[in-house]
Amino acid sequence: MMLKAFSSDLLKIRGKGLWFLIALGPIGLVAMQALNFGLRYDYLSQRHAGRMWEALLGNMLMFVPIALYLGVTLVSSLLANVEHSTNAWKQLLALPISRGAVFCAKFALCVLLLAVSCCLLAIGTVVLGLSLKFGMDIPFMAILKLSFLPFIAALPALALLLWLSLTVKNQALPVTFGIMSAIVSVYSVNLSEWFPLNWPLFGYTGPRQELFVGAGFLCGAVILLFGAVHFNKKDVN
Amino acid sequence: MNNWVIETKGLSKLYRGRYAVSNLNLKIKKGDIYGFLGPNGAGKTTTIRMLLGLIKPSKGSVHIFGQPLEKERLSILRKVGSLVEYPSYYGHLSAIDNLEAIRRIIDAPSAKIDEVLNIVGLSKDARRPVKGFSLGMKQRLGIASALLGNPELLILDEPTNGLDPSGIQEIRELIKQMPKQHGITVLLSSHLLSEIELTAGTVGIIRHGELVFQDTIERLHRQAHEQGTLSLVVSEPEQAVAVLQEQGLGVSLMNNVILLKHIPDAAIAQAVKRLVERNHAVYRIEEKRQSLEQLFLQIVGEGGRP
Ligand SMILES: Nc1ncnc2c1ncn2[C@@H]1O[C@H](COP(=O)(O)OP(=O)(O)OP(=O)(O)O)[C@@H](O)[C@H]1O
Ligand SMILES: [Mg+2]
Repeated sequence: MMLKAFSSDLLKIRGKGLWFLIALGPIGLVAMQALNFGLRYDYLSQRHAGRMWEALLGNMLMFVPIALYLGVTLVSSLLANVEHSTNAWKQLLALPISRGAVFCAKFALCVLLLAVSCCLLAIGTVVLGLSLKFGMDIPFMAILKLSFLPFIAALPALALLLWLSLTVKNQALPVTFGIMSAIVSVYSVNLSEWFPLNWPLFGYTGPRQELFVGAGFLCGAVILLFGAVHFNKKDVN
Repeated sequence: MNNWVIETKGLSKLYRGRYAVSNLNLKIKKGDIYGFLGPNGAGKTTTIRMLLGLIKPSKGSVHIFGQPLEKERLSILRKVGSLVEYPSYYGHLSAIDNLEAIRRIIDAPSAKIDEVLNIVGLSKDARRPVKGFSLGMKQRLGIASALLGNPELLILDEPTNGLDPSGIQEIRELIKQMPKQHGITVLLSSHLLSEIELTAGTVGIIRHGELVFQDTIERLHRQAHEQGTLSLVVSEPEQAVAVLQEQGLGVSLMNNVILLKHIPDAAIAQAVKRLVERNHAVYRIEEKRQSLEQLFLQIVGEGGRP
């Protein structure tokens, strides 16, 4: 049943700018590092001689969480707006499909879209490193980890923002909330590593990354469940 | 088990301390076209939302196809097509893709999309983005969506909203055929009696959230007839009034015309006979029927059973 809703959603997001956004995020991150390394190549290659791949990932890392929060915010809001903008909920939810399936299909679609972003980021990082002649000993494992672990640790944010976007019609609220989280996440690194907005960062660095990733996964699942239960009960006007 | 397609018991919905729908007992027969009438804000859309499980009743129950809606929502909705208030659509998609988005969820055969587009007369515009459609075209698309799943029950909330006269006529004919050709039961809401007078078999009238009339359209006609008055023009009206009052008839005099409430034929014959015996000249007897529209306005205006 969820698959049916999912395939319907895939059709509905055509031409809504979601795929564009999905490509834009990773391309932006890679372009930023291309600029960074392009302008300061001499300085950086002296400083990190022989560890250029590592340096690239380290520089990239600083921007991954904020990009994730912005991506999560915009993707869930744009997806929700497909139904909100013409009040399609009353038609969709009067179809023979459980509301839980509708909710989870939308979550699954967000995960898919953002996972595509993560893949593009990994590919883009490899391409950038190679074109900057960082050598052939590409740290694939580290690149994959950088691309995907922070995303898993950001699942609670996705579940929360998706629920908020689907629940309130006025998208100003979830978008503001999401952008604030993105901004706060830049400064909150100084707080405890367990501050939820820090999970994506510490899910990649830090000695206990599996804890943050695991917490993100579990917490995301719990919020998703609560969101689905609420969505199932609410009145549709 | 009984043979009501829709049966509600004490259905109520409370909004901010006010009942938008209160204690509604709808009974809709299989194969019937049920006209659900009421002025703006009477609670039609609220009722329909409850019938579709979009909102939860504050009190009362809904049974559709004899099954409780709360427990059997999905299996019931598989056999229901609906259009609630103004049409829902995805503006950036074409009419075909709009229907496809629904088809993927309800698992209807692909050929059905062309079929329903044809039925509502949208085949020509099927590939244009729906945001460029006129209101009437969007309404037609909404009706097409409702038909997509081969429903046994159609719930249409003001389906002719925004259609031009020929469109209204077309949709009316389409709805009329539903029970005959496909055995479909139809619930049709409107705030105009004229809209459903020619289609509906049964009429339910809702006012301030309460059902104030529920019976066949013939009964409504008969009631309009019974609400009619007789006017009598006679030679000496004042004396004639006294004669009629002697017989216990409710009479009033206006501009020298005697007005009588609707009474059985035998009683009229008797009254005229008396007048003639007393040497009154009876010039004219006229029956003034109340139009259905007047009766409807009276029902929704004053409230209570007429
Ligand atoms: N979500 C809501 N919150 C509060 N009040 C509501 C809500 N929805 C409807 N109402 C109230 O319930 C009453 C009935 O509204 P409803 O939309 O059912 O009327 P209607 O018969 O469909 O009218 P119309 O002919 O204008 O479509 C109105 O007084 C309306 O203000
Ligand atoms: Mg309405």
